[in-house]
Amino acid sequence: MNWQVKYAIANLSKGMRSTAEHVGDDIIRIMTHDRPNVLAAITAVETVNRETAAQYREQTEGLDFLCGYRKECVWEGEAIRYLEDNRIGWGNFGTLCSAVLDGNANTATHKIYKFSDRLLRQYGRIVRVDREFDRVHRVALRSGTEFRIGMIAAYEPTADEIRSLWDRFGAVDIAWNINPNGTPQPEARAAARELGCEVMKWGELKARLNKA
Amino acid sequence: MGRIEGSPEQGLISASEVAVHLLERCISLEHFNAYMFGSTLHGVGEDIDILIVGPAGDLLAQLKKELHSAGESLPLHILYMQPSEERRTQFVAREKCVSLTKLAVVAPQGCSAY
Repeated sequence: MNWQVKYAIANLSKGMRSTAEHVGDDIIRIMTHDRPNVLAAITAVETVNRETAAQYREQTEGLDFLCGYRKECVWEGEAIRYLEDNRIGWGNFGTLCSAVLDGNANTATHKIYKFSDRLLRQYGRIVRVDREFDRVHRVALRSGTEFRIGMIAAYEPTADEIRSLWDRFGAVDIAWNINPNGTPQPEARAAARELGCEVMKWGELKARLNKA
Repeated sequence: MGRIEGSPEQGLISASEVAVHLLERCISLEHFNAYMFGSTLHGVGEDIDILIVGPAGDLLAQLKKELHSAGESLPLHILYMQPSEERRTQFVAREKCVSLTKLAVVAPQGCSAY
């Protein structure tokens, strides 16, 4: 049994409401009282691209959810669109656990980024959103201005988190600290300035979108 | 690299064993302060939270490579802080972090999972 499957089953078993069994390879079945069974793939890849997503779907009939077990797992935009088009939920282990209890494994999306993604899509001045990665969005405003926005979910974003975002995803205009209780460290703001971007909370981002 | 063996209930390695594993595999850790925090200190966690405190630069880049390799079969979640960031946030005290070297001392002898 793969390491990530062991961790998933062990942690699902800690809760009282669900039980999980290994089906084979990266696949587990989760049973919960009064909720539909969930067939989930638990992957250890660091990046889920469209090809990875398609392989899991094609190899597993009835797949409900694809779970990236590593905390740093990144989802490419094309993979996200492929999974959503095929009614397969996607996200981290926490998303899977919530989806199992909510009974919506087929439509669940990564809970870390779900509300921030929706906030951008529903913001009136934004006319187009291109989700390049789970946490990187290119948005176009009514004025024609475009911003590339990278999301950082940390409670206290550090300089390293800003540099790592830049190194992994390329240049962004704004590093948006999406944790509502978050407080970016001064070193993070300084690192952003050195790179040529800005760290913002939602209030600052909204003001920037309104001015542009 | 070896694999974690055993049943889901039995096969997950302990906090002390993780500490031994990382200290053995990541020689650059000697230039940093390294800690564990979170649920793994109290049993099986969803992931293994590690805090690294030290300067940015080439040494950190090397350490990241070593940790990436050492974490191939572990759910490591690593937070990197500069010393000034740790001092301001008091992260070590606030999160009750335990140093890897201290954890490694209490690992049962000959229990390496690898």
